[in-house]
Formats: sequence, C-alpha cells, structure tokens
Amino acid sequence: MAPPSGNPTTLSEADRAYLASLAPQAASPYHALNPLTKAAIATIATLAAFVLGGYVAPLAILTVLVIPGAVAAGVLTRLTRVAVLISVPISISVALVSVFTRAGATVLFTVGPFDATAEGVDFAGQIIVRLFVTAMALGLFGLTTEPRAFVVDLERRGLSPRVAFAAAATLETIPLMVERALAIQAAQRARGLDTEGSLAARIGGVMPLVGPVILSSLTEVEERSLALEVRAFGRPGRRDQLWTLADDGRQRLLRWALLVGFILVLVGRVAGALPALP
Amino acid sequence: MIHCEGLVHVYPGGTRALDGVDLEIRAGERVAIIGQNGSGKSTLILHWNGLLRPTAGQVVIDGRAAEGQRVAHLARTVGIAFQDPDRQIFAGRLRTEVAFGARNVGLRGAALQRAVDETLDVVGLRGEADANPYDLGYSRRKLLALASILAMGTPVVVLDEPTTGQDAAGVARIQAIVRSLTEVGRTVVTVSHDMRFVAETFERVVVMGAGRVLLDGSPAEAFGEPAWPSLAATNLEAPLAAQLGVRWGLGPTPTEAGLVAALAGAPRARPADRAGTFGSSDPR
Repeated sequence: MAPPSGNPTTLSEADRAYLASLAPQAASPYHALNPLTKAAIATIATLAAFVLGGYVAPLAILTVLVIPGAVAAGVLTRLTRVAVLISVPISISVALVSVFTRAGATVLFTVGPFDATAEGVDFAGQIIVRLFVTAMALGLFGLTTEPRAFVVDLERRGLSPRVAFAAAATLETIPLMVERALAIQAAQRARGLDTEGSLAARIGGVMPLVGPVILSSLTEVEERSLALEVRAFGRPGRRDQLWTLADDGRQRLLRWALLVGFILVLVGRVAGALPALP
Repeated sequence: MIHCEGLVHVYPGGTRALDGVDLEIRAGERVAIIGQNGSGKSTLILHWNGLLRPTAGQVVIDGRAAEGQRVAHLARTVGIAFQDPDRQIFAGRLRTEVAFGARNVGLRGAALQRAVDETLDVVGLRGEADANPYDLGYSRRKLLALASILAMGTPVVVLDEPTTGQDAAGVARIQAIVRSLTEVGRTVVTVSHDMRFVAETFERVVVMGAGRVLLDGSPAEAFGEPAWPSLAATNLEAPLAAQLGVRWGLGPTPTEAGLVAALAGAPRARPADRAGTFGSSDPR
C-alpha cells in the first residue's frame, strides 16, 4: 500500500479497494444504514413507548419502527428470542411487585397478607409491554450494528477519540467477558469445581469464577490502552479515518423527523393535548 | 490409563477438530503432544476430563468410559493445568489457591495441608505461601497454577504449554517436576510448542496435524530426519540438537546431551569442515 499522503485523491484504485475492504460488510440494507440512524430509531422507539404508555401506542411503535427493520435485516426470529430472554426475568419481578403492592379497589385474589388487584395487573401489563418494546428496539440496534462501526461514525462526527475508545472498549468487552468466563469456568472445572451438581454446589462455585473474570478483564483493558498509546493514540491534532460509513440526505431527514416527532409527542403529553390511549 | 478410540470432535461451527484419533497412554508415561495451532491438541486433552465430549468414538480413563462421568469426577483422575494462569487464580493467598483443587477432590485437614505445603515447595513458592498471587510475576503465577493441579494428586497430569514465559531456571524446574512425577508412577502429558523442552523431557512424542495422529514414537524417531516431512506438514521443526546431529552425520540426537555424547564419540573432524557445515545456509 502507498504511504499516506494526506490527500485522498492520490490514492490508487487498489488502495481504495483495500480501504473499502476494511469497513464492516453489511448483511442487509438495514445493516447498511448509518449506525446513528439505527441508534435514533432504537432510542426514539424506547422513549416514545415510555412517554405514551398504555398498550396500543407501544405496540404501534413496535409495529411501525422496529418490526419492519427486523424483517428487512432478516433477524426477526432471533430478535424476538433475545427480547423475550431479556424481558422475561425483569417482567416476572415487575409482575410480582406490581400485582401485589399496587393499591386498587378490585381485589382479584389474596395470598397471605397481599391482595392482587386488577389495577396492579394492568400496571404490570403496561410496564411489561414497554419493557418488551425496549428490548426489541435496542436488540435490533445491537444485532444489526457492529460496535466499532458505531464508534467510528461517532468519531467522524466529532466525538473525542478517547471517549470513542471508552465506548468501544465497553461494548466489545461484553462478548469478550462471556468468552473469558467460559474459559475460566473450564479451568475451575478441571480443578474439580462441580458445576453439574446440586444448586448449593453451583452457588459455591461462583466465587472462583467472578474473581478471574473481573481481574482479567481489567488487565485486558489496561493492555489494550497501553497498546493504543504505543501507537500514538494520544497524539494531538486532526486525524484521518481509514474508512467511513455511508450517510445520506434521506437518513438525515428520517433522524430529524423522528426527533421532531418525539418532541411533539412529549410536549403534547406534558401539555395534556395528546389523549392517553388504552 | 488413557485410551482414545476413533475419536472425532466437530465444533458447532462445523470445524472438524479431531478426525479419528486412536491413542493409548499407559500409566507412568511421559508423553508430549505437538502440532501446529489448530491441529487438535487442546481439543484432544479436553476430552480426557469431560470438558469436551466426543462427536464420535470413545474415551476411556483408567478403565472406565468417560461418557456419563461428570467433569468434577473425571478431575480426580486427570488434572489439566491450562496455559493462562490468570484464567484460574482467584484466591487472595497462594495457600488458598493451591488448596482449592485439592479440597475439591476430597482432601481435608492434615492431608490437605501437607499436599499444599509439598507442592508449594516443589514449585519453589513455599516462602510466599501467604502472599497474594498477583504480587507474583507471570512466570511464577504459572508455577502457582501448576502447583494447584499437582496438589490434587491426580494419577494423570496434563500441562498445556508449561514453559511459556519461563526462563531457563523455570524450564529446568518444570523438567524436574515432570521427571519426579513419573518416578512415583504418575502419568504426565504435555501440549507444547517448545521442541527443545519436549525432546529433553519426554520419552514419547505424538505429532498431530489436521485432527489426526501423524507420528507417534520416541524423541529420536519423532525428530529424526525421516520424520522431518511429517513435522513440516504441521509447521514444526526438529530441535536444533536433532538438526545438527543429522547435518554432522551423527545420527538421531534429539537432546543436547545426546548431541554432545555423539560428538565425543565421533571421529574428530577438522575444525574447518565442522565450521563449514555449521554455517551452511541449507538446514537440510
């Protein structure tokens, strides 16, 4: 490859092709959307679901903003499974707390000192719908966006490289921690740690896993930081990017429309001009 | 002690890591498994304590099929010291770390204490028994991880890349540990890329490539000139002593001691001839 000249017009075709090959490959037109557009859809869908409340509005948001994208990306089944896995444990907690502690006139049944009220069931239902919409919206973003692509795009828009690195390191650390946790679990099982036995044995086996996972994650972040510093990561001044992600007028328009739409909904709800849907 | 028959392992992504491995390791043997990355070495040893289960074929450990036995149970027979010590160390003191595995396999009280003290002594860390493991450097943390496996007293000890990060003294210590283990009848298997360590320490070398056993013999056989094409097929080279022995026409000399002995017994060549041969640019 030719040495960097500072002037992109001097790049040969081969250089351009090489640089283009470094960018993440999009699996579908939805994957190919600019990460900020996908982030805007996820964020606005989540916020609007909470601001509007009820059942109809969050489900409408899910139908209009999330499901078409998931279908276009070919991830609807996987996304639904992920969203259910994420929202079910929280939903159970929410349901238990809301159903039995929410004051209401209609008592459905009683368990010991606790009354299960219809109002509590309704409240829990609304929260669970919003949680599910949130899980679907954020899950769609996660399944269709590479962390490094999002961070590179934010950096192109002026985000400090240091903040961008912190964000990327955080996002990339999660799958790495899962992988490391499995390796650590294997090492402890090789020393006779019983993870296939009783519940008590499994609970007792947590500590030998937690320590190495946290310590090795911290060490790795430190090593990555040092590796970046020795490659002049902290150098002041403007920097060029090897690859950038496509953005266009239609996507910008969509983002602005989502933002303006959300502000109108928010103002409408606060001012009472927008009626609450069931 | 370890019997693998027609062992096949296919990972979920479709990678066929083991492709019909037949291997018998007898009690008290010192065996090194070598091969390039991806040749199936680690996949093979993980079957011995049940961390991986065969796609086809079978594994028999100490006369009993591994199938159906829990990892915690198999760990009483096969102790595996993994390459990265930081993926297992969790305790605040060396003594506690070493006791972890030994307690899991049933040692208690004075027997546990004795096992901990003895193994810390063997790896040269007895004086720091109450220190925090992370106060040690990497090479000594690796010895600590080794101690925690030795303390379990398993009949089979498997060492994954034990010499990584060790200086000459550390390697010599590991060699001494390996020899002392087999002197008391324990079986030692290593997976290593350190050909000199393998040749100097182990009596049997198994060469793996593409999930199969390519070669199985003594260091003299595995590193002798006829085996070089097989070694090259899995991106390996015989240790320097073996290569020099062949170049100088001394026969198989996988170890440095063997090379020196062969040189001492060989007809004395003129220094100029020897220097010329040594400096040759063609290693074969």
